[in-house]
Order: sequence, then structure tokens, then C-alpha cells
Amino acid sequence: MSERSVSRKKDQKRWYTIHAPEQFGREELGTTPADEPDQVLGRTIETTLGDLKQDASENNTKLTFKINDVGSDAAYTEFVSHELTRDYLRSLVRRGASKVEAYITVLSTDDYRVQIQPVAFTTKKADASQEKAIRRTMIDQVEAAAEERTFEALVDSVVEGRMSSAIYSEAKTIYPLRRVEIQKMTLEARPEEVAAEEETAVEVDEDEVADEIEPDDEE
Amino acid sequence: MAEQEDDKWGIAHVHASYNNTVMTVTDLTGAETIAKSSGGTAVKQNRDEASPYAAMQMVESLADEIRASGIEGLHVRVRGPGGNLQKSPGPGAQAAIRALAREDFEIGRIEDVTPIPHDGSRAPKGKGGF
Repeated sequence: MSERSVSRKKDQKRWYTIHAPEQFGREELGTTPADEPDQVLGRTIETTLGDLKQDASENNTKLTFKINDVGSDAAYTEFVSHELTRDYLRSLVRRGASKVEAYITVLSTDDYRVQIQPVAFTTKKADASQEKAIRRTMIDQVEAAAEERTFEALVDSVVEGRMSSAIYSEAKTIYPLRRVEIQKMTLEARPEEVAAEEETAVEVDEDEVADEIEPDDEE
Repeated sequence: MAEQEDDKWGIAHVHASYNNTVMTVTDLTGAETIAKSSGGTAVKQNRDEASPYAAMQMVESLADEIRASGIEGLHVRVRGPGGNLQKSPGPGAQAAIRALAREDFEIGRIEDVTPIPHDGSRAPKGKGGF
């Protein structure tokens, strides 16, 4: 009984074809049904890099796109996150080797705020100091890359693996590395949101903060 | 997987615990539910809700609904209870995927989406005898 009413409702729904951002060639990602075009906005769709490029060897990377524009029966997306699949990441972890991770939030030249998480796997157990040094080069590399790149170029360098190979060639002098990957990259804020934050932010005097904390410390 | 015309894809979310199996079939964005079912719809006894048999029956009842919506292929997302409970999917997961394949759906990616804590609360203590 209830089944029939559900299917009747479905007939009225329109299917929207979802397209990838221009950066990824406006590829078709799939379809989604909805009653109203507005409902489609904000939905996210996940695909693998292999699907986008017709290259099955890159199926370890997941890309998430968010719908931000709807046409008559097409929906357009923007990039929101890039992530390695869990099984691939797990397959890289070996016994007796170190895994060095870093979480870096950077601002691109066109004011997009992104978080980038590089991860490095060593061949053998590394010392804490070496891990620290590797982490340092990761942070420096990512920050340097963000300083001279737009959001789009940044996404491109992560997705194409150029950023991870740059980190690899820098950090392998510190300790022999087996693999460097960018395990995750997420869009945190768009230029408008960053600007709005700056407007509402309150200037805080550093000395004042220190004064307020100190009495507590002494007790 | 190039999408051909009228070859729609969906996602089959399979939550398989040791007490039940819950299946939800959605569109690719996960926003629109197309069909759903759980162990209780297939078997009478509570303890059988997680069984492979129940999972198979569930898939069978779901299949028509899925086909009616025009979906031909499914990506599968399996998950166990996760959190501080078991990280591995229950007995219904495997059977559900098998049954989906037997119902002539094209199976795309199979992914484990069990929630893994980045360190949370302590796991519950074991029950006697275990």
C-alpha cells in the first residue's frame, strides 16, 4: 500500500544530471532526483579520481563535490574535499615503520581556506627528531605552495600528486621514505566567508591577554 | 564507469551489526532514499534479524523497488556498528552484497564506512562468558 504511494511520488521527481567543476572537465558524475530544484543545492556527491579520468589505477582517491548551481535539469558542482580511501591508506601502514602525519590549514592566493593533510611512510622506524624534521618540511612545502597558488591550482597539484612528490623529494634526505601522500584535503572557507570572519573578528591586545592569565598561574 | 544513457546508479548503504542488518538504497548523493529495509521485515525472531538469510530476503524485496526507480547499478557502503563497538560488519553484509549481485545489479565500488574513532570513549566491558 505504502509502497505504491512512494513510487507515485517518485514519478513526479525530476532527475538532475550532476556535472563536475570546469577544472575536472565538466564530466557527468551521476544523477539525483528531486521535487524542487532548490532541494538539489548543497547535496554532495563522491566519486573516485579513476571514474573522472577513466583510469582504474587511480581509484584510491575519493573526490567530493558539492552542488552549488542548478539549471533546468543539470546541476553544477564545486570541489569540497579530496580523500584517500581507507583501505588504501591502511595498506600502506607497515609494522616497524613510522607514519608521519601533519595537519596544515592554509590560505590560497585567492582567499580560499583549505586544510591539507600530508602523510609520509618511512621504510624503518624513524626517530622522533627525524619525524619532527619530516613534519617540518611538509608544513613548509604546503605553506609555500599555498602562498603562490590559487585554490584551483592548489587542488590540481594535490590531485595530480605533484605536491606529494615535491614533499617526497625534499624529505627523503632526512630519512628514507617509502611513500608520501596527501591523505586528505578539505575546503574550509570560501573567500566570502573568510572576509566575513575578518570583519567580525575583534582585535585582541596580546599584553592584555597575558595579564589576565598570569594571576591564575601564580596561584 | 562511464554512465550510459538511462543507466542510473545508486548507493546501497548496508549497516550490518550483530543484532540486525539495515539496508537503505539512495541516489548517488545520498540525499534521496529510494528503498529501505531491515531485518525485522524478513524474519520473525529477533535473533535472526542479523542472519544472512534475512539479508537475502531483504534484498529480494528491495530489488523491485530499486528497479522501478530506474537504477541499474549500485555502489555499496558497508558499515559495522563502529565507534567503540565492533569495527567489522556483521554476518548480513556479505550476504546482502552477494544477493544484490545475484539480482543482476551492477556492483560498483564496495567501501567500508564504519565510523572509526580518532580516540573517544572506552569500549563497553565484555559480557560474562566472552
